[in-house]
Amino acid sequence: MQRISAVFGRVFDGMMLAACLLLLFMTLLIGADVATRNLGVGGIAWSNEVSENILYLITLLSAPWLLRQGQHIRVDILLRVIPPRIGWLFEWVSDLIGLACSLYFVWYGWKVAVASYQAGAVTIKTLVTPEWWLLAVLPVAFLLVAIEFVFRMQRLSKAERSPRTDAVSAS
Amino acid sequence: MSWQLAALLLLGGSTLLLFMGVPVALTFVAINIIGAVLYLGGDAGLAQIVRNSVLSLMNFSLTPIPLFILMGEILFHTGLAIKVIDGIERLIRQVPGRLAVVAVVAGTVFSAISGSTIATTAMLGSLMLPVMLARGYHPTMATGPIMAIGAVDMLIPPSALTVLLGSLSGISISKLLIGGVVPGLILSVAFVAYIVLRVRLTPALAPPTLIEKRSGWQSWRLLVLYVLPLVFIFAVVIGAMSGGFATPTESAALGAIATMGLAAVYGALSLDALMKSLRGTVAITGIILFIILGATTFSQILSFSGATDGLVAAILGQGLTPLMVVAMMMLILIFLGIFVDQVSMMLITLPVFMPLVTRLGIDPVWFGVLFLICMQLGLLLPPHGLLLMTMRGVAPPEVTTAHIFQAVVPYVIMSLLLLGLLLLLPAIATWLPNLLI
Repeated sequence: MQRISAVFGRVFDGMMLAACLLLLFMTLLIGADVATRNLGVGGIAWSNEVSENILYLITLLSAPWLLRQGQHIRVDILLRVIPPRIGWLFEWVSDLIGLACSLYFVWYGWKVAVASYQAGAVTIKTLVTPEWWLLAVLPVAFLLVAIEFVFRMQRLSKAERSPRTDAVSAS
Repeated sequence: MSWQLAALLLLGGSTLLLFMGVPVALTFVAINIIGAVLYLGGDAGLAQIVRNSVLSLMNFSLTPIPLFILMGEILFHTGLAIKVIDGIERLIRQVPGRLAVVAVVAGTVFSAISGSTIATTAMLGSLMLPVMLARGYHPTMATGPIMAIGAVDMLIPPSALTVLLGSLSGISISKLLIGGVVPGLILSVAFVAYIVLRVRLTPALAPPTLIEKRSGWQSWRLLVLYVLPLVFIFAVVIGAMSGGFATPTESAALGAIATMGLAAVYGALSLDALMKSLRGTVAITGIILFIILGATTFSQILSFSGATDGLVAAILGQGLTPLMVVAMMMLILIFLGIFVDQVSMMLITLPVFMPLVTRLGIDPVWFGVLFLICMQLGLLLPPHGLLLMTMRGVAPPEVTTAHIFQAVVPYVIMSLLLLGLLLLLPAIATWLPNLLI
């Protein structure tokens, strides 16, 4: 189990790296668009659309890595004051809810992507692209999030009977 | 089902799951699933949530978030921040509590470049706190100003959370960003005044430090080389946005590129520093936007269930004046800020607050800036304030958690006073955006 978990850890690292490179590309793309537009040489018409798509991809690519690092924010004020063993049980409830929600996104995300593919739906903005391209990323990312929830529960079963020390807030 | 029961199920249910420690994003997903089954037609509603989630992030108004955060991360990871602090320190000489004042002034300059309160607090905490403690500053005098000015980062543009507030509420993002400038500067000045007065009354809190003698160009060199270019970047970002040359997203991209360019000119932009900055940015962005992805249908379900209309009608039916309603909303936000994070504060309250703002004819920019100050307070309020924890993370063990909690009290009071002042004088928030945009 630990070896499989380590393999997935490397997959999550790779996804995080891809997200970093996409962010750099997005920054330079928008900058190039503003520069070329204001210099009177046209601008990059598809810049906005691609940037929006990158924002979506960055979020999904980083989600499993953030879960492994315990960085998805949550409110832990109650977990800290209740007896540690009950806090540990709450962690189980939390992980089971997380797993169920992830599997919901896998199943319904898949259904929506397949329906879009079968209907031949396209997104028409500056670029014309098959809608399922982006829809399909959601169930794949949440499948990885669901798998990480299973690893989390496995780690929790072996851990001390107390709440985790995960992140609690953002930005 | 009555609107009261719907409100209890949706708002009460999400609060319950939040307090059980379920990640914020998945709390909202769980409640949305229940809400979709009850109010959005079951299977069709469940599929709609997926579509909404995908669309929620493909939103150009959200793109400044990573770019503003990236600016702060670059400043942090390239070591430019140290040069800025040195430059400011050489100018501020004969002032009581000198290093604390330097922290506030440097924090104000960082705020003008960094869109992340965490980056600003961590930067100042890791760079200035050890120096202040080594020179005999009391832990409360060393930590308080850093956390306080870190929170002000949210008011002074660029600010990632301001962009999110604008995007979720429909308030003009440009106006909100610029509306935070004056209140942010007022707080910075008030913090400096407080530090000087406090140290004058109790000099032991911040013993005077020896200052290396420099004259002429030597005392100005770092300021000219490192601080002024950063102030220039801030001016370009704000100027491009308010002058109509670029959208907030485009200004943010220009700012991020300029910050990277400046770091490269100084020879500080190594591949390692760049990757650390990008990784830090993706992590904070991923955390925020994952919640948006999970929570996107929440306000729609609240509305479909009748809870939004019911709550709005119940509040309007009390016969309260608009000022009283705004004051009540601020009290709710401050209360929430004690327990929950800033993104959840927005997601829980905006679906009800924004219809009230519209119905009562309240200036949305004024309301938005008040909202920002309440969120800024939430960053500082014990026991859950994010910046208190950020400080705990960078402070050495001799600084106790009690010191950190005690240290923020005066700054929380000053922020509350500003909130009161802004309630009575909306022009503090609305004057600059009305002038520039």
